[in-house]
Amino acid sequence: MTTEIAVPEDLWEGDTEGVITSWLVSDGAEVAQGDLVAEVMVEKAQYEIEAPLSGRLAIVKEEDEVVAKGSVIATLES
Amino acid sequence: MTALSPGLDRVLQRLSVEQGLAAEEAGLDAVCQGESQFELLAWQPLDRALVMPRRHERTEGFPEARQVLRERGWPILFRATGGTPVPQCPEVVNVTLVLRCRVGSSAAHLEWGYHRLGDPWCEWLAALGVTDADLGSAPGAYCDGRFNVRIGGRKLVGTAQRWRRVRGCRDMALLVHGAMQVGGDPAGLVDIVNAFQETIDDPQRFLPESHVALTQALPGLDLETTLPDLLRRLVDWEEMP
Repeated sequence: MTTEIAVPEDLWEGDTEGVITSWLVSDGAEVAQGDLVAEVMVEKAQYEIEAPLSGRLAIVKEEDEVVAKGSVIATLES
Repeated sequence: MTALSPGLDRVLQRLSVEQGLAAEEAGLDAVCQGESQFELLAWQPLDRALVMPRRHERTEGFPEARQVLRERGWPILFRATGGTPVPQCPEVVNVTLVLRCRVGSSAAHLEWGYHRLGDPWCEWLAALGVTDADLGSAPGAYCDGRFNVRIGGRKLVGTAQRWRRVRGCRDMALLVHGAMQVGGDPAGLVDIVNAFQETIDDPQRFLPESHVALTQALPGLDLETTLPDLLRRLVDWEEMP
């Protein structure tokens, strides 16, 4: 089963875009549910992204890439 | 982290920059671990450092910049909130709020977080007689954002946030931080940030006239006696989401 990890839709108002500031795990790594996997910055706010479930993570958006609300930044294969 | 208590008048802590950043992180941890719903810390650096998010470490020229700044007496430290380099020194007072927010609440978003810190700050300034304090950007200022506390359009307080999941549930912990230059000349701090910019070969330069220090707006202000009122306003401001 493939599960998407996305930037939350309701984190901020308006159409401002954010940026992936860091991946805390490598592409292809096995992660556990609740593991901190990435940080997104928007409006000078760092937002921590967790793995919603356990599985193998595939990075979709690389560090320093721009992301909009709801953007899929990785997938998890469980 | 120091929650507000009867010892409010002594709530401004003097810490090294490293200790202050660690205290902020401890407050965030306390909320994330479910040990607290609300934390407030006010601290003033005993030493100085240029503080920035860790992603700047990836910048080409960073090792050289770190060396240059260290030789000028400004070691580089990393912080958990977003933004770009900010000088921390004894002329700066930091105020950090950590709140537990319910997910799904329409109030729990970034803009709300900035108003939660910035609106009481503007009200405090108004009570001190500053008639033109508001939230907004200050073009030309270092670490500019849409939610600086400004006086006459100049940046007095830089603000930033960090969001982290509360352990074992869907609630989020919000850390929102403000750094206010309370004394000295903004030009000196702008010069340090520009020195970093120059060393990493970034052409952007910042302008002293985009900043203001509290004592420029309110000469003779006794911060020790007035700061507790700011902290009370931050505690009392509406309900949490």
